Amino acid sequence: MTKKEFKKLLQNRLILLDGGMGTLLQKAGMPNGVCPEKWAVLNSDLLRDTQRKYVEAGSDIIYTFTFGANPIKLSEYGISEETYTLNKTLAEIAREAAGGEALVAGDISSCGSLLHPFGSVMFDEAVEGFKKQIKGLLDGGVDLFTVETMMDLQEARAALIAIKESCDLPVMVTLTFEGQRTLMGSDPLSALVTLQSLGADAVGCNCSSGPAEMVDIIRTMKPYAKVPLIAKPNAGKPRLENGVTIFDMDSESFASYAEELVEAGVNALGGCCGTTPEYIKRVGEKAKSMKPIKAERKPYSLACSNRKTVEIHGTLPFTVIGERLNPTGKKLLKEALLKGDMDVVSDIARAQTDAGAILLDVNAGVPGIDEKETLKAMVNAVCNAVSAPILIDTSNPGALEAALRIYPGRAVVNSISGESEKLETLLPLAKKYGAMFVLLPVDDNGVPETAEERIEIIKRVYSKAKEVGFSKEDILVDGLVMTIASNPSGALETLKVISWCKKTYKINTTIGLSNVSFGLPSRESINTAFLAMAVANGLTTAILNPNNQQMMQSVKASDALVSRDKNGISYIEYFSGDNQEQGKISGKSEKAQESGLKSLYDAIINGDRTTAEDMARQALISGKSPKEIIDNEMIPAIQMVGDRYEQKQYFLPQLIRGAEAMEKAMAVLAPELERSSEEKIESKGTIVIATVKGDVHDIGKNILAMLLKNYGFNVIDLGKDVESGRIIDAAKANNANIIALSALMTTTMNQMPKVMSNMKSEKLNCYMMIGGAVVDRSFAESFGAYYSNDAYKAVKLAGELIKRNKNGG
Amino acid sequence: MNDIKVLKSIKPVYNKSLVLSRLGYDKYHTALSDEVMHEVERLIKDTENTLNITAAYRIIDITHINPPQIILEDGTTLSGQRLSDLLKDSRQVLIMAATGGPKIMELIAKKQEEGKMSQAVVIDAAASEITDSALDFVMAMVEQHLRPRGKFLTKMRFSPGYGDFDILQQKEFYRLLKAQDLGIMLNEACLLIPEKSVFAIAGIC
Repeated sequence: MTKKEFKKLLQNRLILLDGGMGTLLQKAGMPNGVCPEKWAVLNSDLLRDTQRKYVEAGSDIIYTFTFGANPIKLSEYGISEETYTLNKTLAEIAREAAGGEALVAGDISSCGSLLHPFGSVMFDEAVEGFKKQIKGLLDGGVDLFTVETMMDLQEARAALIAIKESCDLPVMVTLTFEGQRTLMGSDPLSALVTLQSLGADAVGCNCSSGPAEMVDIIRTMKPYAKVPLIAKPNAGKPRLENGVTIFDMDSESFASYAEELVEAGVNALGGCCGTTPEYIKRVGEKAKSMKPIKAERKPYSLACSNRKTVEIHGTLPFTVIGERLNPTGKKLLKEALLKGDMDVVSDIARAQTDAGAILLDVNAGVPGIDEKETLKAMVNAVCNAVSAPILIDTSNPGALEAALRIYPGRAVVNSISGESEKLETLLPLAKKYGAMFVLLPVDDNGVPETAEERIEIIKRVYSKAKEVGFSKEDILVDGLVMTIASNPSGALETLKVISWCKKTYKINTTIGLSNVSFGLPSRESINTAFLAMAVANGLTTAILNPNNQQMMQSVKASDALVSRDKNGISYIEYFSGDNQEQGKISGKSEKAQESGLKSLYDAIINGDRTTAEDMARQALISGKSPKEIIDNEMIPAIQMVGDRYEQKQYFLPQLIRGAEAMEKAMAVLAPELERSSEEKIESKGTIVIATVKGDVHDIGKNILAMLLKNYGFNVIDLGKDVESGRIIDAAKANNANIIALSALMTTTMNQMPKVMSNMKSEKLNCYMMIGGAVVDRSFAESFGAYYSNDAYKAVKLAGELIKRNKNGG
Repeated sequence: MNDIKVLKSIKPVYNKSLVLSRLGYDKYHTALSDEVMHEVERLIKDTENTLNITAAYRIIDITHINPPQIILEDGTTLSGQRLSDLLKDSRQVLIMAATGGPKIMELIAKKQEEGKMSQAVVIDAAASEITDSALDFVMAMVEQHLRPRGKFLTKMRFSPGYGDFDILQQKEFYRLLKAQDLGIMLNEACLLIPEKSVFAIAGIC
């Protein structure tokens, strides 16, 4: 079957696919633990009969029973060398079952391991494994292919590439979504854009959920789908009843969603786990007479990563392309690339997207470096760090293909010029991997000076691109920015090209912005002015430094001025953040000029550490004594923080922030307290605190130590993994009122009674408090200790115990 | 089916509200200012960026269950009444591990040393939640491979230290998953180091 015939078939009427097989064969006697594909070959009559039942139920396409028949999966049963034979035989059995009344799709699914960098299987290892399976299926006579139940878009790409490199048969690809994401985080739109660009002939979803959940996925995909859509849901959710797996939807309720799925936009409908020929028959009765809807599809310019799709259009907010992952002139990045340190690459990627970059340009051009391997490593690092799609910036065909092959989304090739060699080598690569590209209006004669010459090249390159299947929405034209230092009219020529692209040719544009000011002083002034002019002339994207605040401010202002930022919402959001910050700073200094005490109280309540410090200083300047400040403001404030925490108005970080603010203020008052003999603040008591021997979890203990200090206790913190002897010695030496111990594991909590026993034998006159995830009140009481289940309650308990201690209790 | 599968640098989907719950947030009572919320969001993002989650799993046949003992194909014996109940319909077990790597503990320690305890506590909670979600990721992935074969996982999983499933049994998990190869160490008290590491078991029905 040709791709054209397949497309026509799925456009004309709703196509019925088959349903579940694994559960049916299990019911028919397939034992647990066997290789299902091998067992099916040995029980071919049973398999053929089951597949035949789907044909009789109305399936137009049945799948070969080769779901796990790839060499990596078969190696789990020690039979990977049977890959070809098993696939060929299982394809032949499916053809016999189809009997010429249904088409046979060669079924490929996951190899069972995640691909690099998440798992151990390299991308090309997966491709080669799938090719062995594909060869068997082709020789067995399949009409088309289906790649199904993929959790990882990257693995679906590997299978699709393997099929494309093996034959010209149509390919359907379905992923499995948990809600609106695959397990690896891909959303339906990014999956669709990636797969249809890469050459899938139909895309959709199968398994994982019931039909109701798939309606939303199909609705999300439909407006952007250039290819037919598929849904193959489970019969609801499985459960175990008397040792038998039961799915919660019967055939009637399953089929009741058929019409809704067709209305949402599916062209082919079947079933997955838990469905049987009866389910397919019911779906056929409901929907087979329905014609798939034909959605109005606008020409979208869509680039995507495996987790995010970005639309580029002149009416949408300006698309900033981050330029910082290009080592030219960047010493730190250059050195990192030479050392293979990809942490720097990840950090730069994150910094740019945090600053507002929508796409990231990735370039590995360092003299003497292995560009291919470095570019691949950079692509992996960027994909792992951020969800922004990328531009692959190289003219080296080997490096470009290597990067495009492993990029798990739809990248933009930066760039393809009108030079004959570039056109011949790079254009087919961009097409093969479904990428967009930046069209650089340069040809074999060099860089044209005038806009008119550039426009001629643009038309010529686009005509070539169109021949191999590109449309205008797949292209960004580079306006070609030259420095005005050497060519005073260069910027004007660029603006003419941008304007022509916008008004006449209706194609998206980009520029490498900072080139315009090369060799000039105060480059930012030129860059921002030129950016605003270019946006006014219709520029859609630019490669610039998003970490330059002035530049990003210019982007936001330009968008608002040309009404690409509707009602200036993005502009207001961007700048209101700044204003708030400025307001806060000025507010703080005004407060600091006031007498301070009420504000110090507020600063502690709000956990505002810097203000607390300022306020304490101001309070001293105003003539208040440290004791007065502490007694009248700070202690009431920290008590209020505690009350709010107890009433759950505050959560733990707010309680600690209050204590931190208290600590900062106390540090300001401490020197004054030292100086004044009358101003000594009496400690509430001494507490030796530790995490017991063998236990290394200490954050809970550290929180308590900090709170105790700020609530007025003298705290001796011995740290973690502390021997009983050290605890006793410290308690003795400091005449402690309380020993406070923490343990987080059942294996370490038994240290606590040991410390108690030593405490008694040493006749220490102190209490023991304990806390930690595994201990409770009854455990504490079993050896005479006190217990509290959170840090603030422990502070209160300490106060009560010390009061009792002082009263001779 | 006995191979240990290792997944590196995974980014599990997790529920942010569970991070807040770990910190005592109560949606009906707790009021967070924009500033606090912004700081919490930023710290959670820092945690995501610092964690480097490695997970591993293997599937092992159950030979026999004689509550509270569960005897596995390779002779390993696990013990726990509630675990026996969980596995009563299972023929195999999924043994799994996840670790957030050493850098996150360094970040938590650094924040504490700098006196930024309120930040340390948020990062600590987020790291625990995200590392735990890596086990959800493993279970979802394994279940996806099982489902077309008519099998599925128990909804719950247990970790050593839960109820009567003794923490000392971390030793068995450590051995079965070759956890030293994942960068996990086990101290004499059966504590996993780095601290943001977790073992668990679920049944395959």
